[in-house]
Amino acid sequence: MPFNGKSGKFNASINTVEIGCGEKAIKIGGENVLPFYTFDAAIENAPKVGVMISDLGLDNEPAGVKAYYEGCTTIAEVAKKAAEMPGADFVCLKLEGADPNGENKSVEECIEAVKAVVDAIDVPLVIAGCKHVEKDNELLNKAAEAAQGKNVLILAAKEENYKGVAAAAGLAYGQKVGAESAVDINLAKQLNVLISKMGVAQNNIVMNVGSAAVGYGFEYVVSTMDRTKAAALGQGDKDVQMPIITPVADDAWNVKEAMASEADMPAWGSQEARGIGMEVSTAASVLASGSNAVILKHPTSVATISKMIKDLM
Amino acid sequence: MGKFVVIGERLSATAPSVNKAFTERDPEPILKRAKQQLDAGSTYLDVNIGPAENDGPELMKWAVQLLQSEFDNVPLALDTANKAAIEAGISVYNRSKGKPIVNSADAAGRIDYIDLAAANDAIVIALCNGEGIAANNDERMMYCQTMLERGMELGMEAEDLWFDPLFLVIKGMQDKQMQILEFIKMLSDMELNSTGGLSNNSNGMPKHIRPIMDSAMVAMAMANGLTSAIVNPNDLRLMETIKSCDIIKNNNLYADSYLEI
Repeated sequence: MPFNGKSGKFNASINTVEIGCGEKAIKIGGENVLPFYTFDAAIENAPKVGVMISDLGLDNEPAGVKAYYEGCTTIAEVAKKAAEMPGADFVCLKLEGADPNGENKSVEECIEAVKAVVDAIDVPLVIAGCKHVEKDNELLNKAAEAAQGKNVLILAAKEENYKGVAAAAGLAYGQKVGAESAVDINLAKQLNVLISKMGVAQNNIVMNVGSAAVGYGFEYVVSTMDRTKAAALGQGDKDVQMPIITPVADDAWNVKEAMASEADMPAWGSQEARGIGMEVSTAASVLASGSNAVILKHPTSVATISKMIKDLM
Repeated sequence: MGKFVVIGERLSATAPSVNKAFTERDPEPILKRAKQQLDAGSTYLDVNIGPAENDGPELMKWAVQLLQSEFDNVPLALDTANKAAIEAGISVYNRSKGKPIVNSADAAGRIDYIDLAAANDAIVIALCNGEGIAANNDERMMYCQTMLERGMELGMEAEDLWFDPLFLVIKGMQDKQMQILEFIKMLSDMELNSTGGLSNNSNGMPKHIRPIMDSAMVAMAMANGLTSAIVNPNDLRLMETIKSCDIIKNNNLYADSYLEI
């Protein structure tokens, strides 16, 4: 009897979400197969790579990052340079300076940075808050307003502040809403349900289902992404058919493998190389588990991951 | 496994108001009942036009087009003893949301409903019955095999035959209930789909008892592998039970709002 290969194509598909405008706008999602399973069906939209920049500047960045942005003095210049990074599809502006437990910058000051970046680049923009839920509620509301007409993705609406953030981004200012949950598949679905019930169209929602650096409870991340895609594709569950974006840089550069200096850990070798290693391996892993976009910061990581995606597609 | 398939039973000519609406081609009462059922979570709607001996084909066409145009090509079960009416209904049926269901065949006088389903690439409800109620599960299984073979010979996929164990009324056949559940398990072990008029079990019971008994029956039947039922989706307790069982069976991903989705 001849062998009949069976396609692993599903009847359901991930929603396609467009971010940005004009020629450089990107589409994420749309696939009806498992990650990179192009042999089962064509994947129209390859996973995308974003470059993270911070309103706190470059002082605490590794040498390779500083070198890449050499000569940039303003956030607008940094953003422009980030947009040009080989392999980059979009830029993510992280407003971490707003954190009340850190620099506690005013919302007005942060919005100046948003405006400067919006004016400086023509690639799609993702705006991330400072992770303080109350401050983010106000900050992201204003950021969504400031970037009106640019079709940006706002990261993120969480269980604690989704009403304010999703209403501003998704309803008032026509942006894309990021729905963030911390490696909890049931909450990921619930948040999508709640945001949808507010009237935000499902194809205007992108999920951040949470992440961790490889080696740090990462198997939970993988199983969360696997189960999300299994429900979305296998069970046709419309409430989890949103594409997934994963900010990798935050996790990867904040674990001891990336933070311990070479002086403290001579046997571990170059600190920067370790950071890149964590960033690349985490990004590769979340992409293989179903992320439709990753956010990185090191030029070497961006080049490596974008090449990996190209080679696998 | 996919979610449990609820087939809403409230568009039935046995209800006088529905019968009147069918006869007079009055859309309003039909659409109202259809919407109530869909809002409550029904996937399919059963369209029972009765024997419809005179104008069956016209009536079924009218009903299919009315419902599918109003409710985004809602999938339908076409339910009548008039075969020409079922074929007429399928001729105007839009499959984008699911194949039509032919309701129903049995292993005796209505076995040719399987042929009708096969010829029209439809799903068929196959009642595991010959003449009269099957005496035991051996007999039910024999009827099941007969119909399964017939469908497969005609090129159907096994998954398109939805076997109906025939739910029996508790008041009168209380001792047969576990047998029915065991038969559902046998179908499930064979990876066959199943459905049936589940509320038959509570026939003749006081009105306030029926949702309780139906909910218990559906939970036990789902535990044994029942994949669908023809029920009243506007029975809130029953629908809450079905949704909860779908969660327990991992047919649907849990979220706190699961009852409202």
